[in-house]
Amino acid sequence: MAEKELNGLRVDKINSILDSMRDDPEVLKAVTGPWKSRVVWQGGFKAKAYMRKHIVAMDEPDGLDASDSAASAHEQLLSAVGSCLTVGYVLNATKRGVKVHDLEIALEGNFENILKWAGHAPDGNPAYPSIKAKCFVRADADEKTLREIWKAAVDGSPVTQTVARPTEIITDFEKV
Amino acid sequence: MAQSKLFPVTTVGSWTRPEWLIHALRRRQAEEITAYEFNRIADDAVLAAIKYQEDAGVDIVSDGETRRDNFYSFVVEKLGGMKLMKLSELLDYIKDRAGFEEILRGLDVPAFAIKSPIAIDRVREREEGIAQDEAQFLLAHTKRQTKMPIPGPYLLTRSSWFEGLSDKTYPSREDLAKDIVRILRHEVLALKKMGIDFIQLDEPSISQVVYGDEAEQTFMCAALGSRSDPTTELEFAVRLVNEVVDGIDGVRFGVHVCRGNWSRKEDVLLKGNYGPLLPWLMRMNVDQLVLEMATPRAGEIEVFKEYRNEKEIGLGVANPRTDTIEDPKQIVSRVKDFLKYFDPEKIFLNPDCGFGTFAERCVNTPEIAYRKLQAISEAAEILRREYA
Repeated sequence: MAEKELNGLRVDKINSILDSMRDDPEVLKAVTGPWKSRVVWQGGFKAKAYMRKHIVAMDEPDGLDASDSAASAHEQLLSAVGSCLTVGYVLNATKRGVKVHDLEIALEGNFENILKWAGHAPDGNPAYPSIKAKCFVRADADEKTLREIWKAAVDGSPVTQTVARPTEIITDFEKV
Repeated sequence: MAQSKLFPVTTVGSWTRPEWLIHALRRRQAEEITAYEFNRIADDAVLAAIKYQEDAGVDIVSDGETRRDNFYSFVVEKLGGMKLMKLSELLDYIKDRAGFEEILRGLDVPAFAIKSPIAIDRVREREEGIAQDEAQFLLAHTKRQTKMPIPGPYLLTRSSWFEGLSDKTYPSREDLAKDIVRILRHEVLALKKMGIDFIQLDEPSISQVVYGDEAEQTFMCAALGSRSDPTTELEFAVRLVNEVVDGIDGVRFGVHVCRGNWSRKEDVLLKGNYGPLLPWLMRMNVDQLVLEMATPRAGEIEVFKEYRNEKEIGLGVANPRTDTIEDPKQIVSRVKDFLKYFDPEKIFLNPDCGFGTFAERCVNTPEIAYRKLQAISEAAEILRREYA
């Protein structure tokens, strides 16, 4: 019998993985982490992030006299939130048997005080104090169901919740 | 082309779509059902659209553009060489993505919701034409006069030519325009021969040239792939429209321009009076300009002063995007403002735009759309009694 596919996912396979995360400590351990990234300076404001077999380039906008050869880290943070919400939405929709035709998330944030980054505001907060994330979806379910799926995606998103909650960054330093 | 009644009531074309029709449309687009199967489902929706219009007192009825995904993208199924692409797919080909992102955010629309027919090969007409099947069904199911909106040549050329996708076949927009004009000219001749009374060329993107963003690639009810300076664009639009209708009489031609009908948020739609556009619109060899005039965004009407009676005006007297039903007395008052510049036999009454320009983003319910048309018809009756 052909495997049932929904939203580009193999439904039985996904459900089996989700169940094994609950039932098999080894699987749970594997997906819990540690997740890793190594960021290597490339000159100027450029950097490359190496994650498993993947490489993502980063740069800064030309307004900062950078070459703008890639998206900046703060833009990629927005994208990471949006991408994690996308995964969560598709996962939860698929679990509920809802076919998603189109999904788009528009994200936006303003720094509270970027002068802190520039070294002009010692007490300022350079962070995004809030991030807007608007979801547009076209799917085969009523609005109530689609909103429930969105809530589940937001509440269950590791990246979104990392950004939304106080997260300790344990820094270390070594001169080589 | 004289009308038997003063102040004929008509629509700009599109009607709202029931959920079951949207569902069938999605199944059609996913190729789960055939075009034939979809059209048999859509027949019922068209009949309902006609009935709503007739019951509301509309004199010149349309088929509600009910079979269409949107007012122009439907041509992709009627022409060879075109591919329906979502704006989200076109993002890969847009040069100024940051600028385009700002436009999308300002409009508050998802990129996937807007689809454009993109020329990816030589554009070829098919035997069934563009809107002739719609016209045939409409003519068979109403005794009223009929209106058939079709996408105008400027809109189709500007929205269908995208650098990186079209330029292998058509090095420039001019090259694509030749085929578009030829195909549309065949179409209007066929529609006239079938007995359609009123052919409306939809050209909403003309207003983007004057009131919209200066970006080369932008959006105005359609993803617009390219543009030059405003004068060049407007000259181009006039030439293409005139080439389509050149020498054809015995059918009423209208050109519809508006400033957007994709959102109920008035502040994201374009605004400004028609003054900058009128010199070009008046040079189009059509009988009527179908204009949105029901909101303050349409600007001062004094701009029509120097074009007194030069053309008929399809006067937008109801906002299709609100729940409030216009007061017939206020519509009468608005029409009287225009009677300073147009004789009674020059004025047709219609809503500002369609009620379902985009099948999946209809701007109103059938009940409210019906009551708005009723209000317009009531106003027309008052005016007829006064100006008969």
